[in-house]
Amino acid sequence: MHLPDGIVPVDMALAGYAASAGLVALALHRIKALPDPQAEIPRVAMLTTVFFAASLIAVPVPPASVHLMLAGLMGVMLGWFALPAIMVGLFLQAMLFGHGGITALGLNGLILGAPALLAFGLWRQIGGRWPDVAAFLAGSGAVLAALALFAAIVLAGLPAVIDAGAERMALLVLIAAHLPLALAEGVIVMTLLRVLRRVEPRLVPHG
Amino acid sequence: MAEASPRARLVIALLLAFGIASVQGLAVLPWVIALAVAVVLACGHSRLVLRRMRGPAALALGLALVLPLISGGAVLAQLGPLTLRLEGLQAAALIAGRLLAIVAVTLALLAPLTPLQLVAGLRGLRLPALMSDLALLTLRYLDEVRTDLRRAQLARQLRGGRGGWHALPDHARLLATSLIRAQARSERLWAAMRLRGYGAGLAPPLAPLQARDWAAITGAAILACGVIWLDRIL
Repeated sequence: MHLPDGIVPVDMALAGYAASAGLVALALHRIKALPDPQAEIPRVAMLTTVFFAASLIAVPVPPASVHLMLAGLMGVMLGWFALPAIMVGLFLQAMLFGHGGITALGLNGLILGAPALLAFGLWRQIGGRWPDVAAFLAGSGAVLAALALFAAIVLAGLPAVIDAGAERMALLVLIAAHLPLALAEGVIVMTLLRVLRRVEPRLVPHG
Repeated sequence: MAEASPRARLVIALLLAFGIASVQGLAVLPWVIALAVAVVLACGHSRLVLRRMRGPAALALGLALVLPLISGGAVLAQLGPLTLRLEGLQAAALIAGRLLAIVAVTLALLAPLTPLQLVAGLRGLRLPALMSDLALLTLRYLDEVRTDLRRAQLARQLRGGRGGWHALPDHARLLATSLIRAQARSERLWAAMRLRGYGAGLAPPLAPLQARDWAAITGAAILACGVIWLDRIL
Protein backbone atom coordinates (compact mmCIF):
# COMPACT_ATOMS: atom_id res chain seq x y z
CA MET A 1 0.00 0.00 0.00
CA HIS A 2 2.00 2.92 -1.32
CA LEU A 3 0.76 6.39 -2.16
CA PRO A 4 2.10 7.20 -5.66
CA ASP A 5 3.44 10.53 -6.91
CA GLY A 6 1.04 13.17 -8.17
CA ILE A 7 -2.07 12.04 -6.26
CA VAL A 8 -2.04 14.49 -3.35
CA PRO A 9 -1.33 18.25 -3.50
CA VAL A 10 2.25 19.41 -3.06
CA ASP A 11 1.59 21.10 0.32
CA MET A 12 0.38 17.77 1.73
CA ALA A 13 3.44 16.02 0.32
CA LEU A 14 5.70 18.61 1.97
CA ALA A 15 3.79 18.30 5.25
CA GLY A 16 4.34 14.52 5.00
CA TYR A 17 8.09 15.11 4.63
CA ALA A 18 8.06 17.40 7.68
CA ALA A 19 6.09 14.91 9.80
CA SER A 20 8.29 11.97 8.79
CA ALA A 21 11.46 14.00 9.39
CA GLY A 22 10.16 14.84 12.88
CA LEU A 23 9.43 11.18 13.65
CA VAL A 24 12.82 10.05 12.31
CA ALA A 25 14.60 12.80 14.30
CA LEU A 26 12.84 11.62 17.45
CA ALA A 27 13.81 8.01 16.68
CA LEU A 28 17.46 8.96 16.02
CA HIS A 29 17.54 10.91 19.29
CA ARG A 30 16.29 7.82 21.17
CA ILE A 31 18.75 5.59 19.30
CA LYS A 32 21.71 7.85 20.20
CA ALA A 33 20.85 7.37 23.86
CA LEU A 34 21.49 3.60 23.53
CA PRO A 35 24.81 2.28 24.96
CA ASP A 36 26.41 1.39 21.58
CA PRO A 37 24.07 2.36 18.71
CA GLN A 38 26.66 1.67 15.98
CA ALA A 39 26.87 -1.99 17.00
CA GLU A 40 23.16 -2.30 16.23
CA ILE A 41 23.50 -1.16 12.61
CA PRO A 42 24.45 -4.54 11.03
CA ARG A 43 21.68 -6.33 12.94
CA VAL A 44 19.07 -3.73 11.98
CA ALA A 45 20.29 -3.73 8.36
CA MET A 46 20.16 -7.51 8.05
CA LEU A 47 16.68 -7.69 9.59
CA THR A 48 15.51 -4.80 7.38
CA THR A 49 16.81 -6.70 4.35
CA VAL A 50 14.72 -9.74 5.35
CA PHE A 51 11.60 -7.58 5.89
CA PHE A 52 12.19 -5.83 2.57
CA ALA A 53 12.73 -9.13 0.69
CA ALA A 54 9.73 -10.77 2.40
CA SER A 55 7.46 -7.87 1.44
CA LEU A 56 8.38 -8.45 -2.23
CA ILE A 57 7.23 -12.09 -2.15
CA ALA A 58 3.53 -12.86 -2.63
CA VAL A 59 1.89 -14.93 0.12
CA PRO A 60 -1.33 -16.77 -0.77
CA VAL A 61 -4.25 -15.36 1.22
CA PRO A 62 -7.46 -16.75 -0.30
CA PRO A 63 -9.00 -15.77 -2.64
CA ALA A 64 -5.85 -14.01 -3.91
CA SER A 65 -2.23 -13.53 -2.92
CA VAL A 66 -0.88 -10.52 -1.04
CA HIS A 67 2.39 -8.77 -0.30
CA LEU A 68 3.01 -8.51 3.43
CA MET A 69 3.41 -5.03 4.93
CA LEU A 70 5.30 -6.13 8.08
CA ALA A 71 5.25 -2.65 9.68
CA GLY A 72 4.00 -4.13 12.97
CA LEU A 73 6.70 -6.81 13.03
CA MET A 74 9.37 -4.19 12.30
CA GLY A 75 8.08 -2.09 15.19
CA VAL A 76 8.18 -5.06 17.58
CA MET A 77 11.65 -6.30 16.54
CA LEU A 78 13.46 -3.06 15.74
CA GLY A 79 11.87 -0.61 18.17
CA TRP A 80 12.99 2.97 17.42
CA PHE A 81 15.20 1.65 14.61
CA ALA A 82 12.01 0.77 12.70
CA LEU A 83 11.48 4.39 11.59
CA PRO A 84 14.83 4.95 9.83
CA ALA A 85 14.61 1.39 8.47
CA ILE A 86 11.15 2.04 6.99
CA MET A 87 12.27 5.32 5.41
CA VAL A 88 15.29 3.61 3.86
CA GLY A 89 13.13 0.72 2.62
CA LEU A 90 10.56 3.08 1.08
CA PHE A 91 13.25 5.12 -0.66
CA LEU A 92 14.82 1.98 -2.13
CA GLN A 93 11.42 0.61 -3.18
CA ALA A 94 10.65 3.88 -4.98
CA MET A 95 14.03 3.94 -6.71
CA LEU A 96 14.45 0.24 -7.54
CA PHE A 97 10.90 -1.00 -8.09
CA GLY A 98 8.80 2.11 -8.76
CA HIS A 99 6.58 1.48 -5.69
CA GLY A 100 5.48 4.75 -4.09
CA GLY A 101 7.31 7.86 -5.25
CA ILE A 102 9.82 10.54 -4.41
CA THR A 103 7.28 13.27 -3.55
CA ALA A 104 5.08 10.83 -1.59
CA LEU A 105 8.03 9.44 0.41
CA GLY A 106 7.22 11.52 3.51
CA LEU A 107 3.53 10.55 3.53
CA ASN A 108 4.35 6.88 2.90
CA GLY A 109 6.86 7.05 5.76
CA LEU A 110 4.07 8.34 7.99
CA ILE A 111 1.60 5.66 6.78
CA LEU A 112 3.98 2.82 7.72
CA GLY A 113 6.12 4.47 10.41
CA ALA A 114 3.35 5.56 12.79
CA PRO A 115 1.75 2.04 12.89
CA ALA A 116 5.21 0.53 13.48
CA LEU A 117 5.69 2.82 16.49
CA LEU A 118 2.21 1.92 17.76
CA ALA A 119 3.08 -1.78 17.48
CA PHE A 120 6.35 -1.15 19.35
CA GLY A 121 4.48 0.63 22.16
CA LEU A 122 1.84 -2.09 22.35
CA TRP A 123 4.47 -4.85 22.48
CA ARG A 124 6.39 -3.05 25.23
CA GLN A 125 3.23 -2.60 27.28
CA ILE A 126 1.65 -6.05 27.07
CA GLY A 127 4.15 -8.25 25.17
CA GLY A 128 5.60 -9.66 28.40
CA ARG A 129 2.25 -10.68 29.91
CA TRP A 130 0.20 -11.73 26.86
CA PRO A 131 2.73 -12.26 24.06
CA ASP A 132 0.39 -14.00 21.61
CA VAL A 133 -2.36 -11.40 21.97
CA ALA A 134 0.15 -8.54 21.72
CA ALA A 135 1.80 -10.09 18.64
CA PHE A 136 -1.52 -10.61 16.85
CA LEU A 137 -2.68 -7.09 17.68
CA ALA A 138 0.68 -5.60 16.63
CA GLY A 139 0.57 -7.41 13.27
CA SER A 140 -3.04 -6.86 12.30
CA GLY A 141 -3.40 -3.53 14.13
CA ALA A 142 -0.48 -2.04 12.19
CA VAL A 143 -2.13 -3.00 8.88
CA LEU A 144 -5.44 -1.46 9.98
CA ALA A 145 -3.74 1.71 11.26
CA ALA A 146 -1.81 2.05 7.96
CA LEU A 147 -5.07 1.57 6.02
CA ALA A 148 -6.81 4.23 8.10
CA LEU A 149 -3.96 6.70 7.55
CA PHE A 150 -3.86 5.91 3.82
CA ALA A 151 -7.63 6.43 3.49
CA ALA A 152 -7.53 9.69 5.47
CA ILE A 153 -4.67 11.09 3.36
CA VAL A 154 -6.31 10.10 0.06
CA LEU A 155 -9.68 11.56 1.14
CA ALA A 156 -8.02 14.82 2.16
CA GLY A 157 -5.77 15.01 -0.87
CA LEU A 158 -7.84 14.10 -3.93
CA PRO A 159 -9.26 17.02 -5.98
CA ALA A 160 -12.58 18.40 -4.75
CA VAL A 161 -14.13 17.76 -8.16
CA ILE A 162 -14.14 14.01 -7.50
CA ASP A 163 -17.48 12.87 -6.16
CA ALA A 164 -17.17 12.35 -2.39
CA GLY A 165 -19.57 9.39 -2.42
CA ALA A 166 -17.66 7.58 -5.16
CA GLU A 167 -14.38 8.36 -3.40
CA ARG A 168 -15.66 6.90 -0.12
CA MET A 169 -17.01 3.83 -1.92
CA ALA A 170 -13.65 3.21 -3.64
CA LEU A 171 -11.84 3.52 -0.31
CA LEU A 172 -14.31 1.17 1.40
CA VAL A 173 -13.69 -1.41 -1.32
CA LEU A 174 -9.93 -0.93 -0.84
CA ILE A 175 -10.22 -1.37 2.94
CA ALA A 176 -12.45 -4.45 2.59
CA ALA A 177 -9.94 -5.94 0.15
CA HIS A 178 -7.16 -5.44 2.72
CA LEU A 179 -8.98 -7.00 5.70
CA PRO A 180 -7.70 -10.53 4.87
CA LEU A 181 -4.18 -9.04 4.82
CA ALA A 182 -4.69 -7.64 8.33
CA LEU A 183 -5.81 -11.06 9.58
CA ALA A 184 -2.96 -12.84 7.75
CA GLU A 185 -0.34 -10.48 9.17
CA GLY A 186 -1.74 -10.99 12.66
CA VAL A 187 -1.42 -14.78 12.31
CA ILE A 188 2.06 -14.56 10.76
CA VAL A 189 3.43 -12.15 13.40
CA MET A 190 1.94 -14.24 16.23
CA THR A 191 3.43 -17.52 14.91
CA LEU A 192 6.76 -15.93 14.04
CA LEU A 193 7.26 -14.29 17.43
CA ARG A 194 6.27 -17.54 19.15
CA VAL A 195 9.07 -19.32 17.24
CA LEU A 196 11.61 -16.56 17.91
CA ARG A 197 10.83 -16.39 21.64
CA ARG A 198 11.59 -20.10 21.87
CA VAL A 199 14.60 -20.34 19.51
CA GLU A 200 16.30 -16.91 19.51
CA PRO A 201 14.86 -14.69 22.27
CA ARG A 202 17.54 -12.01 21.65
CA LEU A 203 15.60 -11.07 18.51
CA VAL A 204 12.51 -10.15 20.53
CA PRO A 205 13.88 -7.58 22.97
CA HIS A 206 10.83 -6.69 25.03
CA GLY A 207 9.00 -10.02 25.02
CA MET B 1 22.37 16.79 -16.55
CA ALA B 2 23.85 13.50 -17.77
CA GLU B 3 27.21 14.61 -16.31
CA ALA B 4 25.90 15.63 -12.89
CA SER B 5 27.13 13.85 -9.74
CA PRO B 6 24.78 11.51 -7.82
CA ARG B 7 24.30 14.17 -5.11
CA ALA B 8 23.32 16.80 -7.68
CA ARG B 9 21.02 14.32 -9.44
CA LEU B 10 19.11 13.71 -6.20
CA VAL B 11 18.66 17.46 -5.65
CA ILE B 12 17.58 17.97 -9.29
CA ALA B 13 15.09 15.07 -9.07
CA LEU B 14 13.56 16.54 -5.90
CA LEU B 15 13.33 20.06 -7.36
CA LEU B 16 11.71 18.93 -10.60
CA ALA B 17 9.42 16.39 -8.89
CA PHE B 18 8.06 18.96 -6.45
CA GLY B 19 7.76 21.56 -9.23
CA ILE B 20 5.65 19.12 -11.28
CA ALA B 21 3.64 18.01 -8.23
CA SER B 22 2.58 21.61 -7.61
CA VAL B 23 0.77 21.84 -10.99
CA GLN B 24 -2.98 22.36 -10.52
CA GLY B 25 -4.17 23.33 -14.00
CA LEU B 26 -4.48 21.32 -17.17
CA ALA B 27 -3.13 24.16 -19.35
CA VAL B 28 0.42 23.64 -18.14
CA LEU B 29 0.31 19.84 -18.45
CA PRO B 30 1.69 19.72 -22.06
CA TRP B 31 4.67 21.84 -20.88
CA VAL B 32 5.23 19.47 -17.96
CA ILE B 33 5.16 16.43 -20.23
CA ALA B 34 7.55 18.17 -22.66
CA LEU B 35 9.88 18.89 -19.74
CA ALA B 36 9.79 15.23 -18.63
CA VAL B 37 10.52 14.02 -22.18
CA ALA B 38 13.40 16.52 -22.48
CA VAL B 39 14.91 15.32 -19.18
CA VAL B 40 14.61 11.66 -20.25
CA LEU B 41 16.29 12.41 -23.60
CA ALA B 42 18.99 14.56 -21.99
CA CYS B 43 19.90 11.85 -19.47
CA GLY B 44 19.89 8.96 -21.99
CA HIS B 45 18.77 5.49 -20.83
CA SER B 46 15.26 6.08 -22.25
CA ARG B 47 14.69 2.31 -22.68
CA LEU B 48 15.45 1.69 -19.02
CA VAL B 49 13.06 4.48 -18.05
CA LEU B 50 10.28 3.10 -20.27
CA ARG B 51 10.76 -0.41 -18.91
CA ARG B 52 10.53 0.74 -15.30
CA MET B 53 7.51 2.94 -16.04
CA ARG B 54 5.22 -0.02 -16.78
CA GLY B 55 3.83 -0.17 -13.22
CA PRO B 56 3.13 3.57 -12.86
CA ALA B 57 1.72 3.61 -16.43
CA ALA B 58 -0.75 0.84 -15.48
CA LEU B 59 -1.80 2.87 -12.42
CA ALA B 60 -2.23 6.01 -14.56
CA LEU B 61 -4.31 4.02 -17.05
CA GLY B 62 -6.49 2.69 -14.24
CA LEU B 63 -7.11 6.24 -12.98
CA ALA B 64 -7.85 7.44 -16.52
CA LEU B 65 -10.41 4.67 -16.99
CA VAL B 66 -12.14 4.94 -13.62
CA LEU B 67 -12.22 8.64 -12.66
CA PRO B 68 -14.20 9.91 -15.73
CA LEU B 69 -16.89 7.31 -14.99
CA ILE B 70 -17.33 7.94 -11.26
CA SER B 71 -16.87 11.65 -10.74
CA GLY B 72 -17.97 15.02 -12.07
CA GLY B 73 -21.23 16.59 -13.22
CA ALA B 74 -21.07 17.62 -16.88
CA VAL B 75 -21.91 14.63 -19.09
CA LEU B 76 -19.63 14.24 -22.12
CA ALA B 77 -20.98 11.01 -23.54
CA GLN B 78 -23.26 8.10 -22.68
CA LEU B 79 -21.72 4.69 -23.45
CA GLY B 80 -24.51 2.23 -22.67
CA PRO B 81 -24.82 2.10 -18.87
CA LEU B 82 -21.61 4.18 -18.45
CA THR B 83 -21.53 7.98 -18.31
CA LEU B 84 -18.36 9.81 -19.26
CA ARG B 85 -18.02 13.07 -17.27
CA LEU B 86 -15.88 16.12 -18.00
CA GLU B 87 -14.61 16.94 -14.49
CA GLY B 88 -13.60 13.32 -13.89
CA LEU B 89 -11.75 13.26 -17.20
CA GLN B 90 -9.91 16.50 -16.29
CA ALA B 91 -8.98 15.20 -12.82
CA ALA B 92 -7.76 11.91 -14.33
CA ALA B 93 -5.63 13.72 -16.93
CA LEU B 94 -4.08 15.98 -14.27
CA ILE B 95 -3.27 13.19 -11.80
CA ALA B 96 -2.04 10.74 -14.45
CA GLY B 97 0.03 13.46 -16.19
CA ARG B 98 1.71 14.54 -12.93
CA LEU B 99 2.32 10.92 -11.90
CA LEU B 100 3.94 9.90 -15.20
CA ALA B 101 6.00 13.10 -15.50
CA ILE B 102 7.39 12.80 -11.95
CA VAL B 103 8.19 9.10 -12.36
CA ALA B 104 9.87 9.70 -15.75
CA VAL B 105 12.02 12.54 -14.40
CA THR B 106 12.98 10.60 -11.24
CA LEU B 107 13.85 7.44 -13.17
CA ALA B 108 15.78 9.31 -15.86
CA LEU B 109 17.96 10.98 -13.24
CA LEU B 110 18.33 8.22 -10.64
CA ALA B 111 17.79 4.82 -12.32
CA PRO B 112 21.17 4.86 -14.15
CA LEU B 113 23.01 5.23 -10.80
CA THR B 114 24.43 2.12 -9.16
CA PRO B 115 23.19 1.44 -5.62
CA LEU B 116 26.59 2.53 -4.28
CA GLN B 117 26.38 5.85 -6.15
CA LEU B 118 22.84 6.36 -4.86
CA VAL B 119 23.94 5.84 -1.25
CA ALA B 120 26.99 8.08 -1.80
CA GLY B 121 24.61 10.76 -3.08
CA LEU B 122 22.40 10.41 0.01
CA ARG B 123 25.46 10.62 2.26
CA GLY B 124 26.54 13.75 0.40
CA LEU B 125 23.19 15.34 1.24
CA ARG B 126 24.03 14.90 4.95
CA LEU B 127 21.61 12.05 5.49
CA PRO B 128 22.39 10.67 8.99
CA ALA B 129 25.19 8.09 8.78
CA LEU B 130 22.95 5.49 10.41
CA MET B 131 20.46 5.74 7.54
CA SER B 132 23.02 5.74 4.72
CA ASP B 133 24.78 2.72 6.30
CA LEU B 134 21.40 0.99 6.60
CA ALA B 135 20.69 1.67 2.93
CA LEU B 136 24.13 0.43 1.86
CA LEU B 137 23.95 -2.84 3.83
CA THR B 138 20.33 -3.46 2.79
CA LEU B 139 21.26 -3.07 -0.88
CA ARG B 140 24.36 -5.23 -0.43
CA TYR B 141 22.41 -8.22 0.92
CA LEU B 142 18.97 -7.77 -0.70
CA ASP B 143 19.49 -10.06 -3.70
CA GLU B 144 21.01 -12.80 -1.55
CA VAL B 145 18.24 -12.74 1.07
CA ARG B 146 15.54 -12.53 -1.62
CA THR B 147 16.98 -15.57 -3.42
CA ASP B 148 17.22 -17.51 -0.13
CA LEU B 149 13.59 -16.72 0.70
CA ARG B 150 12.37 -17.70 -2.77
CA ARG B 151 14.34 -20.95 -2.60
CA ALA B 152 12.86 -21.77 0.80
CA GLN B 153 9.36 -21.03 -0.48
CA LEU B 154 9.91 -23.26 -3.52
CA ALA B 155 11.28 -26.05 -1.31
CA ARG B 156 8.16 -25.80 0.87
CA GLN B 157 5.94 -26.13 -2.20
CA LEU B 158 7.94 -29.09 -3.54
CA ARG B 159 7.59 -30.89 -0.21
CA GLY B 160 3.82 -30.59 -0.62
CA GLY B 161 3.30 -27.60 1.69
CA ARG B 162 -0.29 -26.79 2.49
CA GLY B 163 -2.09 -24.00 0.61
CA GLY B 164 -4.52 -21.23 1.53
CA TRP B 165 -4.86 -20.04 5.12
CA HIS B 166 -3.14 -23.18 6.43
CA ALA B 167 0.06 -22.03 4.70
CA LEU B 168 0.40 -18.89 6.86
CA PRO B 169 2.10 -20.56 9.88
CA ASP B 170 4.55 -22.21 7.45
CA HIS B 171 5.36 -18.81 5.95
CA ALA B 172 5.83 -17.40 9.45
CA ARG B 173 8.29 -20.19 10.34
CA LEU B 174 10.13 -19.65 7.05
CA LEU B 175 10.44 -15.95 7.81
CA ALA B 176 11.58 -16.71 11.38
CA THR B 177 14.35 -18.94 10.01
CA SER B 178 15.50 -16.14 7.70
CA LEU B 179 15.54 -13.68 10.60
CA ILE B 180 17.59 -16.05 12.80
CA ARG B 181 20.05 -16.55 9.93
CA ALA B 182 20.19 -12.76 9.41
CA GLN B 183 20.96 -12.24 13.11
CA ALA B 184 23.86 -14.72 12.94
CA ARG B 185 25.19 -13.11 9.77
CA SER B 186 24.94 -9.62 11.27
CA GLU B 187 27.24 -10.66 14.14
CA ARG B 188 29.92 -11.77 11.66
CA LEU B 189 29.34 -8.63 9.61
CA TRP B 190 29.80 -6.38 12.66
CA ALA B 191 33.08 -8.12 13.52
CA ALA B 192 34.30 -7.62 9.92
CA MET B 193 33.24 -3.96 9.91
CA ARG B 194 35.13 -3.29 13.16
CA LEU B 195 38.26 -4.95 11.75
CA ARG B 196 38.07 -2.65 8.71
CA GLY B 197 37.98 0.40 10.99
CA TYR B 198 34.23 1.16 10.90
CA GLY B 199 33.30 3.89 13.38
CA ALA B 200 36.90 5.12 13.80
CA GLY B 201 36.30 8.25 11.71
CA LEU B 202 38.27 6.94 8.73
CA ALA B 203 35.63 7.82 6.10
CA PRO B 204 37.00 10.11 3.35
CA PRO B 205 35.79 13.75 3.46
CA LEU B 206 32.98 14.72 1.09
CA ALA B 207 34.08 16.14 -2.26
CA PRO B 208 32.57 19.59 -2.93
CA LEU B 209 30.02 19.98 -5.73
CA GLN B 210 31.59 20.82 -9.11
CA ALA B 211 30.67 23.87 -11.22
CA ARG B 212 28.65 21.66 -13.61
CA ASP B 213 26.66 20.30 -10.63
CA TRP B 214 25.81 23.82 -9.50
CA ALA B 215 24.86 24.75 -13.08
CA ALA B 216 22.54 21.71 -13.36
CA ILE B 217 20.95 22.39 -9.94
CA THR B 218 20.40 26.05 -10.80
CA GLY B 219 18.88 25.05 -14.16
CA ALA B 220 16.54 22.59 -12.44
CA ALA B 221 15.50 25.20 -9.86
CA ILE B 222 14.72 27.68 -12.66
CA LEU B 223 12.71 25.03 -14.54
CA ALA B 224 10.76 24.07 -11.39
CA CYS B 225 10.00 27.75 -10.64
CA GLY B 226 9.04 28.22 -14.29
CA VAL B 227 6.53 25.36 -14.10
CA ILE B 228 4.98 26.83 -10.93
CA TRP B 229 4.85 30.33 -12.50
CA LEU B 230 3.27 29.02 -15.73
CA ASP B 231 0.67 27.16 -13.67
CA ARG B 232 -0.25 30.40 -11.89
CA ILE B 233 -0.60 32.53 -15.05
CA LEU B 234 -2.15 30.10 -17.57
